[in-house]
Amino acid sequence: MRFIKKTHYNQDIQLFKHQGQLFWYGALGVALLLSPLVLSDFYLGELSLVFIYAIAGIGLMLLTGYTGLVSLGHAAFLAIGAYTHAYLLAQGWPFPVSILCATLLSSLVGAIIGIPALRMTGIYLAVATLAFAIIVEQVLSHWVSVTGGFRGMAVELPSIGSFSLDDSVTFYFLCLFILTGCLFLALNLLRTSTGRAMTAIRDSEISAQSMGIHLAYTKTLAFGISAGFTGLAGSLLAHKIGYLAPDSFTLLISIQLLLMVVVGGLGSLHGVIYGALFIGLLPQGLALLRDTLPPALAQIPGLEPGIFGLILVLVLIYEPQGIYGRWLKIRSYFEEFPLYRKATHKRQRSYLRTERLK
Amino acid sequence: MSLLAANNLSLSFGGVHAVEDVSFSVNKGEVFSIIGPNGAGKTTLFNLISRIYDASTGSIRFNEQDISQVPTHRIAELGIARTFQNTELFEQETVLRNLLIGQHVHRRTNLLQEFLFLPSVRQQELRFRKDVEDVIDLLDLQHYRHQVIANLPYGVRKMVEVARALCLKPRLLLLDEPSSGLNPEETEDLSFQIEDINEELGTTIIMVEHDMNLVSRTSTRVMALADGKLIAVGSPVEIQQHPEVLKAYLGE
Repeated sequence: MRFIKKTHYNQDIQLFKHQGQLFWYGALGVALLLSPLVLSDFYLGELSLVFIYAIAGIGLMLLTGYTGLVSLGHAAFLAIGAYTHAYLLAQGWPFPVSILCATLLSSLVGAIIGIPALRMTGIYLAVATLAFAIIVEQVLSHWVSVTGGFRGMAVELPSIGSFSLDDSVTFYFLCLFILTGCLFLALNLLRTSTGRAMTAIRDSEISAQSMGIHLAYTKTLAFGISAGFTGLAGSLLAHKIGYLAPDSFTLLISIQLLLMVVVGGLGSLHGVIYGALFIGLLPQGLALLRDTLPPALAQIPGLEPGIFGLILVLVLIYEPQGIYGRWLKIRSYFEEFPLYRKATHKRQRSYLRTERLK
Repeated sequence: MSLLAANNLSLSFGGVHAVEDVSFSVNKGEVFSIIGPNGAGKTTLFNLISRIYDASTGSIRFNEQDISQVPTHRIAELGIARTFQNTELFEQETVLRNLLIGQHVHRRTNLLQEFLFLPSVRQQELRFRKDVEDVIDLLDLQHYRHQVIANLPYGVRKMVEVARALCLKPRLLLLDEPSSGLNPEETEDLSFQIEDINEELGTTIIMVEHDMNLVSRTSTRVMALADGKLIAVGSPVEIQQHPEVLKAYLGE
């Protein structure tokens, strides 16, 4: 076990809590920076996709994992970011401005959606956001002059000035850079008042209110921030898939995003990364698996969503804290090695909460 | 002089008169206890003061200001903090973060500064932390600083909730049954801590409490309620001998 001697409150505030963390995150950073030397274009593309999922996941995690508001409609924000970015690029706007506008617009739409959603929590909110996603999908297929309707629209190649960002190595670095920036922003948010206000709302609205937290404002803010991150991911995704059509942003994508934060581990940014790796790499894994399966089994239609669903159910039953939660348990097992007690992480029910005031 | 004054306060839920025409005032620096049998309207009164409920009629003045129409989240900024009967902590967070949430009303930074974690935000965080540590020292919570609430025993949770309320630096502290679920030893500690809070921090305290021992040791004045109506206000000794109070508890 590691015991840290603390001599200043800054040690609890800073992002890297001790030398070991600094070393390992540094090593991870170097590995990611050097990986284009080793990996082929295909794997770089897959990793870029994982990064894009992770950016969207940060958004959904802030909303679902930290503020406690479940959204089944985040594909809509992904779509708004993607289409806005593609449309503005087609109008000749420069790449950085366009991506910023796409982020701000989805953030704004998110905040507006947040307002009626203030009165709802839990399953009702999930259904309301689901309805919103369906509305957006309809708008995408019928607003032909902007979105190209069912024909879809091509996305221009990304470039800043005359410098092209299109080849897989540059795009990989672009995604990595933006993901790092987003993680930095989210971590900062979570260690300050606004982030704490969000977690307060998740755990007890009534006492959050008594602590002076403005529920409506904070929830709207959470929706706005969440939609902003997801919109940003959407505009990167637009380049990744190259051609936008309404069926790129279906309900299945929303569910995958939610699956990502749940499987990764609700309430942690590590969970977002694990979840993104899971969502991003599982289809490839399944494709590999499919080659080895007997044809009768491999050809079953809907195999992939079926397996996704199965994994979600299994995670909810056996490891509600997701991959990150499991990792923490494994780590504490080795840290305390001969002394590990089996019941350390046993879940307890508590019956102490005041009945909610409606 | 009076810090909080309630005038003809009433609240009905349909035909049930939870609080009926209650008027009282609490002086600055007092420990004011509210007692009464179950269903007397004590907690409802707390919910009225902290603006979780709207009064049907009547008004509440805090510090010479009418707070009957103030939105709920503004109450904390005015300097009223409360605890809950069955504890309402942020379960998945550590004690430290719970207490830092108590500092929310003192923040002076905006969202953009927080996203970038500018030096002003860091300064504020350090200031918050120092204030939180002062409260931790006052209530002896050092051991639990980095523990998650869900893993703590009930008695500690109760104290953490009081600590969180104190982090607001309130002028008025509302304690809803602070001793319920505590063992005699913890209750004893609590009575000293209530005195400390009252004397060292100069916080006025209103407390709903059933433990008459605790009430008579700490309170300046006691108010007795029954069936939503006020029956008596006076010193702890007066109240314990008041015939109407005895009748409310013991029957005819």
